[in-house]
Amino acid sequence: MTASPSHLDLLEAESIHIFREAAAQFRKPVMLYSIGKDSTVLLHLARKAFFPAPLPFPLLHIDTTWKFREMIAFRDRTARELGLDLIVYTNHDGIKRGINPIDHAPSIHTDVLKTQALKQALDKYGFDAGFGGARRDEEASRAKERVFSFRAAGHRWDPRKQRPEMWNLLNGRLGTGETVRVFPMSNWTEKDVWRYILREKLEVVPLYFAAERPTIVRDGQILMQDDDRLQPRAGEKVEMRKIRFRTLGDYPLTAAVESEADTIEAVVAETLNAQTSERQGRLIDHDQAGAMEKKKQEGYF
Amino acid sequence: MSVHALHKMKAAEDSAPRLDVVPNLVRDLGGITHLLTCGSVDDGKSTLIGRLLWDASDLYEDQRETVRRSGRKAAGTDLPDFSMLLDGLVAEREQGITIDIAWKYFDTSTRRFVIIDSPGHEQYTRNMASGASHADVAIVLVDARSGVKKQTKRHTAILDLVGVKHVVLAVNKMDLVNWSEDVFRKIEADFRTLCWKFNFWDATAIPLSAVFGDNVTNPSTNMAWYTGPTLIQHLEKTPSRVSEAGSVFRFPVQTVLRDGQDFRGLAGTVTSGSIKVGDVVVDTLSNASGKVVRIATMSGDLDSASAGQAVALQLDVDIDVSRGAVLSVPDARPTAAQTIEARFVWLSEKAFSLTDGYLLRTSTDLIPISAIEIKALLDLETMASRPARACTANDIAIIKISLGRAAAIDVFSEIPETGTLLIVDSVTGATVAGGVATSVDSRAEAAPEGHFVLKRDMLANGLNRDLSMSSKDREEFMRRANEVAILLRAAGVAVAIEPPPPVDDGMDPGL
Repeated sequence: MTASPSHLDLLEAESIHIFREAAAQFRKPVMLYSIGKDSTVLLHLARKAFFPAPLPFPLLHIDTTWKFREMIAFRDRTARELGLDLIVYTNHDGIKRGINPIDHAPSIHTDVLKTQALKQALDKYGFDAGFGGARRDEEASRAKERVFSFRAAGHRWDPRKQRPEMWNLLNGRLGTGETVRVFPMSNWTEKDVWRYILREKLEVVPLYFAAERPTIVRDGQILMQDDDRLQPRAGEKVEMRKIRFRTLGDYPLTAAVESEADTIEAVVAETLNAQTSERQGRLIDHDQAGAMEKKKQEGYF
Repeated sequence: MSVHALHKMKAAEDSAPRLDVVPNLVRDLGGITHLLTCGSVDDGKSTLIGRLLWDASDLYEDQRETVRRSGRKAAGTDLPDFSMLLDGLVAEREQGITIDIAWKYFDTSTRRFVIIDSPGHEQYTRNMASGASHADVAIVLVDARSGVKKQTKRHTAILDLVGVKHVVLAVNKMDLVNWSEDVFRKIEADFRTLCWKFNFWDATAIPLSAVFGDNVTNPSTNMAWYTGPTLIQHLEKTPSRVSEAGSVFRFPVQTVLRDGQDFRGLAGTVTSGSIKVGDVVVDTLSNASGKVVRIATMSGDLDSASAGQAVALQLDVDIDVSRGAVLSVPDARPTAAQTIEARFVWLSEKAFSLTDGYLLRTSTDLIPISAIEIKALLDLETMASRPARACTANDIAIIKISLGRAAAIDVFSEIPETGTLLIVDSVTGATVAGGVATSVDSRAEAAPEGHFVLKRDMLANGLNRDLSMSSKDREEFMRRANEVAILLRAAGVAVAIEPPPPVDDGMDPGL
């Protein structure tokens, strides 16, 4: 027998177990794919779970039209190279109403172009289960999240309807109108994600690596000018800085850090030595107290 | 300093040439230990966990800074209040989740630790049982001034029930009893006596002070008389459940994978024992068997797989095995159970009802329950059982269940991984109870008194008259019978289904 499994081996096996349970128990699952590093790991785990068979479910990307251009390019190339069934959904009604992350509060933008869009897409295709890459270590309000997280009709998260989970038994029997979010990476940490990317030699969006990029500093945060929709305001100017991103989302809402880490090894070193937890770079979380909690109740991941 | 400047500074700090340490940092940790903490806030639980995080873990600097800056002090001392690190887990953010367990992660240099925290308030039995079912080791916390209490007895009983094998008694607040060895030895002796009636493999008492940090990570200078390990030393040496899984091979089949060509793989995780290419495996339900010709993973085929590994097994013959089957070796099979007796923790707010329809979930199977009967309730303080017919939230009930069809189940004390069960409400899907099989029987039993029995003749002549005796049709027969039973129960009728005649598989029924 080989040496005893490492913690990443155990996490990987647990995630595969969860994927297989969900795929077997739910009628029409879908994987919510957000292009970032967590999604990259999630996708890799899913492929492992069903190898050598193809993925038994499609991927769904909620496109707010405000993602970094490099993310979209990466998404399309990944889908093509791996032969994935990719569904891209945009809340065109919200776009028509002119909702955007520059003029509107992040909470409004997120609600319309992410949360509402996700609900619309799930309803449109009739998915009863959505895989997501959320982890319990991300934020205090997620620390109690289940692996199978149930949503009542209308995608509402009702704390009283959450099921206890014991041993490795996963109960996916749905009540009327219920759907479920499945989190195969519940027990992973941010450090594990990077360790695993390095170990499995996974390719990630180049924005995670430091490069000279056009930036604007706003409210003390470094933003990247990914296209001309983001313009400097009075007193601001566009400057080149060597930056990288610790998380990826809509570019006007995603703060960069100045960094020299331009290889995967350097990024991993920087992350493992990091002195601050990752969500500091995600502006929507600072928008209001208990933001994540509220968004979850409303149906956002 | 502006936020921007701070970013710049941190970035510069972070990207300082630390590349040399990468190989060390990305080294996989030697395993995962799931740690349950039992005790109330009064026993100093939050302070102990906070102290573990502070002294032994890879906390982010911004989290440490928050504690230092807050100025909050541990009661009666000049030391930082480490329990703050648990804010957002224990005290804050009551989300109203019925079963309320928070998960927290930290790494020492050799292991990943997962802290499973469940509230210690009155309704704790089901919370604790639920959390303990995931634990490799449990810390039972007591106050040195009060020692082993009734609550300690209940805690250890729950741990034993759900299969925790390693227990640490953390005798906290030793500073408040003048670091007295006599006090500790008395508590340690009480704990030993208590643990004798359980099936723990290891029960260790450690004297400590969470506030001052004695024997948490650093050996105490106040208790020179104590020569045992510190808490963290002890925890780092405690093996996990998966590494201690038994040697009898079990492989619950989750799903069947096909690549569109000639590959048909039975996908699942080895839950105990190991399997290698060339071994013969059998499905005890269908009695079908085959030889393993390939153990497939995306990282490459394996020669063997052992407990904890998720793989896909390809057999030399295309046997009709699907989800719900538990593969084993031919001479050590799980029971094809028709009747089971089990100890359940009742989890639901909704009490047991004879007229609710229930399903039984095993590793990967979901089986209609044709009859269910509460036999007794267990008193966790005395471990005595008293006859009962009803049960509700937080009760530990001994329940007898007849299944609508056979399911592969082990006795929990023999092979725990495939002896765990959930009772599921057939209408809402809710998990109403979690438990462990104490006896399994391949023979069916007559319905308990007071039940309307759905007779096979009755069903065969009407509802099922289009069905033959083929195995597919026999399955369909039971499916319909169970659906009828569920509807009748929803209408308030206590129903049992007459069990099917045993399938003649040529096996000695004694096997």
